[in-house]
Amino acid sequence: MMKCVVKKWISRVCLIFFAFLFLYPMMWNLWSSFKSNTEFLTAPFDFPKGIEIDNYVRAFTKANMGAYFLNSLYVVIAATALTLLFVIPISYVLARYKFKGSKIILNFFMCCIFIQATYIMVPLFLQLNTMNLLDNLTAMSLVYAVFRFPFSIFLLVGFMKGIPIAYEEAAQIDGCSRIRILISIIIPMAKPGIVTVGMLSAMAYWNEYPLALVLIQSEEKKTLPVGLANLYEVQQYATDWSALFAALIIVLVPTILIYLLGQKQLIGGVGMGGIKE
Amino acid sequence: MNKKRMKTKIPVFFIAFSVVPPVALMVLFMIMPTIEAFRLSFTNSTGMGGSYDFVGLKNYIYMFQDSLFILSLKNTIKLMAVIPLITVILALIFAFVLTQTKLKERGIYRVIYFMPSIISLTVIGIIFSFIFNPTMGSLNNMLTKVGLGQLALAWLGDSRTALWCIGVTLVWQSTGYYMVMHIAAIDGISPDIMEAATIDGAGQFQKLVKIILPLLKNIIGITYVLSLSGTLALSFILSKVMTAGGPSGTSTVLLQYMYQQAFTNSNFGYAMAIAIFTLIISISLSVISRGLTNRE
Repeated sequence: MMKCVVKKWISRVCLIFFAFLFLYPMMWNLWSSFKSNTEFLTAPFDFPKGIEIDNYVRAFTKANMGAYFLNSLYVVIAATALTLLFVIPISYVLARYKFKGSKIILNFFMCCIFIQATYIMVPLFLQLNTMNLLDNLTAMSLVYAVFRFPFSIFLLVGFMKGIPIAYEEAAQIDGCSRIRILISIIIPMAKPGIVTVGMLSAMAYWNEYPLALVLIQSEEKKTLPVGLANLYEVQQYATDWSALFAALIIVLVPTILIYLLGQKQLIGGVGMGGIKE
Repeated sequence: MNKKRMKTKIPVFFIAFSVVPPVALMVLFMIMPTIEAFRLSFTNSTGMGGSYDFVGLKNYIYMFQDSLFILSLKNTIKLMAVIPLITVILALIFAFVLTQTKLKERGIYRVIYFMPSIISLTVIGIIFSFIFNPTMGSLNNMLTKVGLGQLALAWLGDSRTALWCIGVTLVWQSTGYYMVMHIAAIDGISPDIMEAATIDGAGQFQKLVKIILPLLKNIIGITYVLSLSGTLALSFILSKVMTAGGPSGTSTVLLQYMYQQAFTNSNFGYAMAIAIFTLIISISLSVISRGLTNRE
């Protein structure tokens, strides 16, 4: 009995130690964002003495975070909507029908999981240039969506295969059209899967860096990650560190909020992907 | 039975309506740029609009005479040799402990350990460059506090450590993600097997080695390949944000060198040869991973 309790506490201490390692960088960032610049430079490891909201004001006004924030928000909403719009119907079809080429299409998507945007960002840049779509947030959202197709379809096909077919058959007998069936039966029943795919995509879009770096050129259209990386480069000479930390927190807060709200679906989605893959 | 019924009336229009747009978009934004990259890799193109000539395999041959390319290849190989191994082993240990422990708060650990993998890599890169900072950095501060002050370094500015700072950051960022995959796989193991093992008096370590590892062989292989491919792609972002490839190229990775060749030096043809080289590595990994999944 005694041994059991000791063992329990050893594993607990180890787990807390690692939890500390995973949380510390973010906590340090959080309390640094509440310090004034002099406070940060003289005592970078102490807790903040007060809360300098002005850092956040400067991040929004001087460091242009407000504009970047809106651009990122636009891209996330547009790209997530496009992802779901294209991915839901094809996932349903691939989950339900066996037709000539259905296997080829599924394999085509699975092979494309490994073509990451970063590898082909240069030809993508050239292609969007010839199509006159460079420096265009909507076009970039579409490209974002396309690069999430393979993984999203893969997750959603797996999920939709688990939906019992009986409902659709009944609806078909009642004379429902396929699109009606998709909208009023499949989408409600596949909602947990769709929410998972939507959340995973939205987070990936919010954080995306390489494509945004290459496809967007004008300052006022930049998204948060690119704006932040620029800010970091500039701050090394201007040293308004506190505003930089505030800006980092501004980027972190939405992802962490979505994560805490939807961690069950998110963690479930990643686990599901792993098992089936 | 279901198959038969569905086969009799295949809604051709509905299928075309669902399948054609996403496939067309994939061809437009994924396949065509890939083919274009392949084509340009045999040219001396210098960027937008300018004329260029086909130079055959010259870019590919030059690659292996270019000491900076070889340096970035070496750096990438170093990372890929070490980081996925550490990541997957750590992920497996965490998954094992969190599934076997009876601690009430274990769900909280899972949420915390997974958290880094949802955060923007740009943000992580910036935060970690502060951690490794010689004067304001937590790492040196901690070393000094425990009396190891003589080990303190300018981690990112030192050619011996810069690359490994990126490596450590990658491990920190991705371990939780693979841990979740392993947890799902362990949860999928029938409880009967685990119970039988407990009744037979198997200890925790024996359970791990004799039951979990053999049953998780496939998923471990897959997470390992995913981690290899992630290291290849994500090291670019961290290296760009944390060290800009420095000092003197010692933390430059393949994709970053490609980026520099394209957008700093306007050597688009050469950059594409590097991109194709990297893509081939990645596709080989994908083939290996397909092999692992289908082997069951």
